[in-house]
Amino acid sequence: MSGASPVSRWSGPAQLVAKRTGLALVTLVLVSAVIFTISGLLPGDAAQELLGQGATPEQIAALRHEMGLDRPAVVRYFEWLRGIAIGDPGQSLVANKPVADIISERLPNTLILAGLTTLFSVPIAFLVGISSAVTRGKATDRALNIMTLAMVALPEFLVATIAVLVFSVKLLWLPSITIVPQDPTLWEFLRAYAMPVMVLGVGVIAQLGRMIRAAIIAELDRPYVEMARLKGVSQRRLIFRHVLPNAVGPIVNAMALSLSYLFGGAIIVETIFSYPGLASLMVNAVTSRDMPLLQACAMIFCATYLLLVLIADTVAILANPRLRQG
Amino acid sequence: MLSRRGLIGGMAAGAMLAPADRLIGKPRMGGRIRVAGIVASTADTLDPAKGGNSSDYMRTFLLYSGLTQYDGALRAQPGLAEAIESDDNIVWTIRLRRGVHFHNGKALTADDVVYSLLRHKDPAVGSKVKAVAEQFAGARRVGTLEVELRLTGPNPDIPIILAQPQFAIVENGRRDFSVANGTGPFILKSFAPGIRTIVQRNPNYWKPGKPYLDEIELIAIPDELSRVNALLSGDVQMVIAVSPGSVKRVKASSSHLIMETKSGLYTDLVMRQDHPVTGNPDFVLGMKHLLDRDLIKRALFRGYATIANDQPISPLDPYYNPGIPQRAFDPEKAKFYLKRSGLLSTRLPVYVSPAANLSVDMGSILQEHAAQIGLKLAVNRVPSDGYWSTHWMKHPLTFGNINQRPTTDLMFSLFFQSKATENEAGWKNPKFDRMLIEARQTRDEAVRKAIYGEMQWMIHRTGGIGIPVFISLLDGYDRRVRGLQPVPLGGLMGYTFGEHVWLDA
Amino acid sequence: MNVGSIIRGARRLPLSGKIGLALVIFWIVVAIVGPFIAPYPPGSFANEEVFAGSSSEFWLGSDFLGRDVLSRLLSGARFTVGLSAIAVTIAACLGTGLALTAAVGPRWGDELLSRSMDTLISIPSKIFALVLVAAFGSSIVLLTLIIAITYVPGNFRIARSLAVGLARLDYVEVARARGEGRLHLALVEVLPNMIKPLFADIGLRFVFIVLLLSGLSFLGLGLQPPDADLGSLVRENTSGLAEGALAIIAPAVAIASLTVGVNLLIDAATQGKAH
Repeated sequence: MSGASPVSRWSGPAQLVAKRTGLALVTLVLVSAVIFTISGLLPGDAAQELLGQGATPEQIAALRHEMGLDRPAVVRYFEWLRGIAIGDPGQSLVANKPVADIISERLPNTLILAGLTTLFSVPIAFLVGISSAVTRGKATDRALNIMTLAMVALPEFLVATIAVLVFSVKLLWLPSITIVPQDPTLWEFLRAYAMPVMVLGVGVIAQLGRMIRAAIIAELDRPYVEMARLKGVSQRRLIFRHVLPNAVGPIVNAMALSLSYLFGGAIIVETIFSYPGLASLMVNAVTSRDMPLLQACAMIFCATYLLLVLIADTVAILANPRLRQG
Repeated sequence: MLSRRGLIGGMAAGAMLAPADRLIGKPRMGGRIRVAGIVASTADTLDPAKGGNSSDYMRTFLLYSGLTQYDGALRAQPGLAEAIESDDNIVWTIRLRRGVHFHNGKALTADDVVYSLLRHKDPAVGSKVKAVAEQFAGARRVGTLEVELRLTGPNPDIPIILAQPQFAIVENGRRDFSVANGTGPFILKSFAPGIRTIVQRNPNYWKPGKPYLDEIELIAIPDELSRVNALLSGDVQMVIAVSPGSVKRVKASSSHLIMETKSGLYTDLVMRQDHPVTGNPDFVLGMKHLLDRDLIKRALFRGYATIANDQPISPLDPYYNPGIPQRAFDPEKAKFYLKRSGLLSTRLPVYVSPAANLSVDMGSILQEHAAQIGLKLAVNRVPSDGYWSTHWMKHPLTFGNINQRPTTDLMFSLFFQSKATENEAGWKNPKFDRMLIEARQTRDEAVRKAIYGEMQWMIHRTGGIGIPVFISLLDGYDRRVRGLQPVPLGGLMGYTFGEHVWLDA
Repeated sequence: MNVGSIIRGARRLPLSGKIGLALVIFWIVVAIVGPFIAPYPPGSFANEEVFAGSSSEFWLGSDFLGRDVLSRLLSGARFTVGLSAIAVTIAACLGTGLALTAAVGPRWGDELLSRSMDTLISIPSKIFALVLVAAFGSSIVLLTLIIAITYVPGNFRIARSLAVGLARLDYVEVARARGEGRLHLALVEVLPNMIKPLFADIGLRFVFIVLLLSGLSFLGLGLQPPDADLGSLVRENTSGLAEGALAIIAPAVAIASLTVGVNLLIDAATQGKAH
């Protein structure tokens, strides 16, 4: 490519994306190997778990053979790897249907929950972080600080349980479990998701808000801010035009971590609200020793994480010219 | 001499609940309820034979019918079979009800029944009752509506055994269970394993006037607290398995009720007899005296339990032997026996798991009392995941959790017969095995009762298990749901609530 | 640092920091002496009544089995505080050590470490812990190790970004040009300059570990009975939540005060005016 200025603006990210995609594939293979190895250490197998307490050894052996579990682990792993390479995650050992079908039932649920939580909590987190940073040390900052601290201080399951007791059981405002009716109206839809989104949002707002505050304060301490202030730049302009773009790197990074948490970390919220998402599916796959399903879930979580981090890094580079040379 | 002939023939279907109907008013048609079970996973199945948990059983009884059905006193009532008769308890004649249709319109015939019974013996089916079905020497069609079932040996309990959910009748030749085609009170509307099952009223159900509800949605909320919360917040109208600690909350609500079903379910301390320590008879006796049955009943079950006596037959069972003196919590005696065994100073791990109902807390209680007489027990809590396959019965001291089985014979033959795969303690007693066969062969009820009574004594005295209490099943439901009656084999009417309940306006 | 400078530092803390410090010291003391001052053995069924309220005999009432809540709290604190502290130390040592290796080492080493850490971090931590506990059991040592391993990648990420930034600075380049070895570069030139932000991260991670531990207890993977960390105390008494039993409120408040205290202290210590 010839060296005009637009190319130099984009070549950094383009290279990054290309390189990261390659590395991501390596990471995915590593993850699959780790998962395969660890789950090989788990006691019992799919045949035993499926047949339960009273199964006879012949029954287990027969089922094992049918599931192909009597072949060596390495062979099974490479067969799975070959399948995944051509885009086929295989057949669930337990549910008697393709893994892809099961995932496609659950993935939208997780995406919706994660998406709604993001929409709900990221703006609030920015609001909290920015107002806290610009009023550093003053009453507002202190109040917000105590609020976010309290929000991270309690275990998620307790927050969820208290929320259910108050909003569902006592006040009867919101459903205590998340069941989305077929063809819901917008109101039904929002009502159904209100509780899990709130509970997940508490953690995200608190952590992200604190990160944003820290990132902005770090920038505010830099000499250029002092210069801009001396030049008479307004507070609003200073924050939005100068400070935020420079602080974007750590902020998007924190966001990437928070959002990837919404994928796999939602296990407790999924359990309490009995919401059929991917995290509980993965736990289910662990318990039933359903290897192909377990692997597929792990791949999704891993890919999501890598993708989010890649986006974060790209945004950081695009937003911050200083990083582009690096 | 009492013959089995005609024992269950001739009783009108639905008669079993008639008195109750009079008490609670006339059923109302229509309405929809959502019911929360405990388990949902990708292994959820529409194949009755594969059913292995309470949610599977509920699904089975919504969609399918069995040849017989349980009543509240653990007896068999006619189902798809109008009569099941035998002169020798070996060859059984099953006469089918006329005019029963599968959901797809096909009429029920003897072929369906023959197929449904014999398929359990095929290992490829993966039936949960394969071991029970091994006693079916053969089944053949005698007429369109008549089947002859031949056993390998006498078994007077066949009508009761056939009421188990796994023996529900499927269509002849059916192998694909991605859809359900049964003769049950409801027709499958949608099924998403691990998420939900929705069924709607079967207008052609063979019990006239039933079922009452238009639609039932079955979901699962594994976390008990969430399940009760969902009930109290009105998101579900019925929940199975309320923990004793939550009963107060449900009762405090003006719009919800609790149904207590006394049952023979127990969580037991399993002492392997093939291990030098736990196989020592004095050690076993000592441990049995260390079980604080009153505390377990009071604190863990808030009174919703019946004190048990280290033998598996509950007072609900017609063959229960009330003559065995109650073994009490007695640390002094325990210490005496443990000292005599010379094993007081051994340090043993006890394996507990949330998988075995409240065994973690029972383990803690046992550990505390053991410590006071100088016996060190290390409680080793392991995750539910994999507990049954890797820990239960595999260590000298574990906890088991045994559901009430429909017959005394099944309780003994599954868990105490010397060669049973689930003989928890590995307790071997040839005399016990002989008596088990004897009880099957006798035609005299009094003799059978005497034999079973003696067998309970034997387990109480020398068996390798300690049973502190029989656990009551607790279900929570919306006050508007009517028609529920306890059936001791499981929660929510032995999982058969579907056809019995209605929704009051 | 000597005792005097620590006290001087503590004096200079803002009020919030002092509160935080007080809470942290309080919990450390409880963790150390708690089991000795507990009025009852933590496992004894001292009270006939379950979920009893506060009384002169049972200051914090009784739990779901009639055990003394105060005694269980005093005995449980050491697991939460101790286990989390040990786990975070292991995680930080491993994470930071690897980060320094990555920062001053060859490029491929950095790449290799970063990829491995990505592998670990992309598996959801609770599910990862769940699989490990299912596979290896949950003795205290294993639980600590599992939690530590779960938090290594997070610490590595932060430490690496700090260390890589520092390693590019001129004074490090100068030292490199002087011919100093990699060990010297890592420990003498880079590490001291990243201590402060690193401690902030470690403090936060401590809080996360406390919460993860209670999350694991929720999933039934926590400590073995009769031991119980604060999270397990909350979990095992959840049935008392609706009636507002002290048995659940007390440990919940304990967790909150511990995590808030640590956070307040870190905030104050890392953002204090003193440079």
